[in-house]
Amino acid sequence: MLNIKTIDDATINQRVYQLNLGPQHPSTHGVMHLLLTLDGEVVVKIEPIIGYSHRGHEKMAENRIYEQYLPNPARMDYLSGMIFNHGYCMAVEKLCGIEVPRRAEYIRVITSELNRIASHFIGTMDYAMGLGAITPFLWGWDDRENILDLLEMISGSRLTYSYGRFGGVRNDITKEFYDGTRKFIDRLRSRFWDYENLINQNVIFIKRSKEVGVISKEDALAFGVTGPTLRGSGVKYDVRKNEPYSAYPEFKFEIPTRKEGDCLARYQVRMAELEQSVNIIEQALDHLPPGPVRAKVPRFVTPPEGDCYVTFESARGAAGFYIVSDGTRVPYRIKVRAPSFSNLFVLTKICPGHFLADIVAIFGSIDVTVPEIDR
Amino acid sequence: MNITQLPYIKDIYGFLGSDVMSGLVGLLIIAALVPLNVAALVLVERKVAGHIQLRPGPMEVGPHGILQTLIDAVKLLGKEMVTPGLTDKPLYWLSPIIVVAPAFVGFIPLPFSPLVQIKDVNVGFLLIFSFSSIGVISILMGGWASNNKYSLIGAVRSVAQNVAYEIPLLLSVMPIVMMTNTFKLGEIAQAQSGLWFIFYQPIAAIIFFIATTAETNRAPFDLVEGESELVSGFHTEYTGMRFSLFFLAEYTNMVIAAALFTTFFLGGWYGPVLPGAVWFFAKTYFLLFVVMWMRWTYPRIRFDQLMNFAWKVLIPIALVNLFITAIVLKVL
Amino acid sequence: MNTNPYGFNQYIKDILVGGKSLVVGLWITLKRLFTRIVTVQYPRQKLTMTANFRGHIEAIRFDDTKSHHCVACGLCARTCPSHVIKVQGEKTRAGDKKVGTRYYIDFSKCSLCGLCVDVCPEQTITFSKEYELVYYSRWDTVIDLMGRLEGSR
Repeated sequence: MLNIKTIDDATINQRVYQLNLGPQHPSTHGVMHLLLTLDGEVVVKIEPIIGYSHRGHEKMAENRIYEQYLPNPARMDYLSGMIFNHGYCMAVEKLCGIEVPRRAEYIRVITSELNRIASHFIGTMDYAMGLGAITPFLWGWDDRENILDLLEMISGSRLTYSYGRFGGVRNDITKEFYDGTRKFIDRLRSRFWDYENLINQNVIFIKRSKEVGVISKEDALAFGVTGPTLRGSGVKYDVRKNEPYSAYPEFKFEIPTRKEGDCLARYQVRMAELEQSVNIIEQALDHLPPGPVRAKVPRFVTPPEGDCYVTFESARGAAGFYIVSDGTRVPYRIKVRAPSFSNLFVLTKICPGHFLADIVAIFGSIDVTVPEIDR
Repeated sequence: MNITQLPYIKDIYGFLGSDVMSGLVGLLIIAALVPLNVAALVLVERKVAGHIQLRPGPMEVGPHGILQTLIDAVKLLGKEMVTPGLTDKPLYWLSPIIVVAPAFVGFIPLPFSPLVQIKDVNVGFLLIFSFSSIGVISILMGGWASNNKYSLIGAVRSVAQNVAYEIPLLLSVMPIVMMTNTFKLGEIAQAQSGLWFIFYQPIAAIIFFIATTAETNRAPFDLVEGESELVSGFHTEYTGMRFSLFFLAEYTNMVIAAALFTTFFLGGWYGPVLPGAVWFFAKTYFLLFVVMWMRWTYPRIRFDQLMNFAWKVLIPIALVNLFITAIVLKVL
Repeated sequence: MNTNPYGFNQYIKDILVGGKSLVVGLWITLKRLFTRIVTVQYPRQKLTMTANFRGHIEAIRFDDTKSHHCVACGLCARTCPSHVIKVQGEKTRAGDKKVGTRYYIDFSKCSLCGLCVDVCPEQTITFSKEYELVYYSRWDTVIDLMGRLEGSR
């Protein structure tokens, strides 16, 4: 790799050129604009330009009552729509002091973990597609299709759910969903071998991912990176274990971590998390308690004055909702912490010195969802 | 007296057996083969890709999508040929033409069967290799003339890749030439009447296969037109029929490469029951299927790893192979 | 390559291990080549939607009134985040409940959140199973629920 530090600035300025990995590109995951400054094929500087999908979700919150805001969190990060929805409900319940029945908590965990598996399929296989292997991408979508069918059985939609309500979930799970999930788990376990041998052990894949895009532990903590990107760099931090919420304390699962911090480590962390999510779903289905799925709450909630911050683990990292209420039915301010926003800017530190082909790989391995950055 | 001794008939017979006639017939064969091959190959690639990816591929046009390439050609003919503003016009216009012309030449020495061969040129495969090097110039022209940074990066990569992989290509064929003492493709195919050369030279076969995959810019070496990184590489700015000429050239090069592999290593036209030409084409298409199968399985190699692979792995192994073959031939 | 001492044995081992992984990859793809396809050829084969599928809302026909139970309370219109619903009703006699007479939704703005279905006190609306919706103009997206109910008699 080119040693950038030994070339003085005057020479660099004559040799470099700028390339727009523009808003429209086959491998930026959303409308993302990366302004690269290249010297030959080596990147000297990278500058992400965001804001192409800003839709004003936080401003919308100031004009709608709490119930009317329920469709919005799922549209921010559409790949973990269920998780964001439940997170928002958790925030409002914490503010109002509503108690959620245990069956509803278990259903929330099951649907959140299914959504996490679906999102990780896209995250890992999109990374493989950025490297050039198109086939695993389509196999991942086939597996994801089963999850979307399952979630459609109970909630009615496939991508933007609006399934959680304050005090629980909207409706109970059916026997079809229960049997379907069991079958899905068995089928998924038999597919891991295929992905493992086609991608993980492939020499071309390993050569392109090892020691590419190394995020050191200090850099990751300094930029506020969370999620599988952080766990790939050696820090064992997961909101589900460190600040537990909902029914997670009752389940036994592990947090996969890797030390190296390169693209291969992040990919392996995500694949290992798939297995852990499957474990959680199995435990939840085995011990599902009977009871109601929705607590009795007033039709339009009016939280007392005050504020609260609730954090939860979305597929990309630690997300959070900060709600400020002034005692009326309309929130005063809702601020969303989107994990992709913090994860993205670590690119400016690690990319210089890599080839153009590696930028696509690194960007895919960090797994951002661009509409979540812009909200 | 024989009827062929009559004056007019002798002239006609003389004309029919002459080089001009065989040249004309050869032209007809090429003109028929090339578009048919490409049409069939594009469809086979899409179907194979589809079934590997658990979907059916084109199904609408014709039963199971057989007429798809025909309709695609009609569509591409009907598109507007947009020329971007600041391009270098002569180079931009010439590039698709020059990339397609050497592909036609490559069909001349190929031995389809003991009788059907357009012309058994005495330099044989060197003709094909030297003409395929001209194709590299046209890619560079196309990339430079497009006035697009993505195309330029793709074109520059392709020059280095093609130049680097020609050396293992030639080095892996040299043992065959040493074994048969000739460059002519017809005689090389004839010399495999006993055991096919792939059993004598398995390493050379593998190196040849990898090198031709790299020469024709197919996956996993398709970083020249890497769809994920450079939007479409050097043919980003080409539309309509110009784009289809690049496509035609790529698939024709693939066919020639597979035919060469069949001639060198898989015994050419030898096979039990069916006529020679059928076996030749069967082996060629099987190899093309393997090339397509590789495309949909592997990711792309990065540029510096590609050069490493050529210079540090393929060339030493090819040289060692050549050395061992020379010693064995001398001793035995 | 890398800074570790890279001996000849390591070189040969790399090539062999790499080659084996490539061949295993080819075998997996070949197996999948011969499995059944998972897609559905849409216009010729259609899938059935699940029971909870969210199409646009429609009014349910009840047996006792042979029609809907809407009382035009307006809760659905007030709950909708996108202001999609327009309801009107009339009172036939003093002391009776109102009866909904007109119910229009502008489906182009609906986000299928289900809040209207949840909040209705009479449980008179539900989701339909329509997904083949194609409109030629913007104004066709306005769906008249009462008209659909009458028309499906």
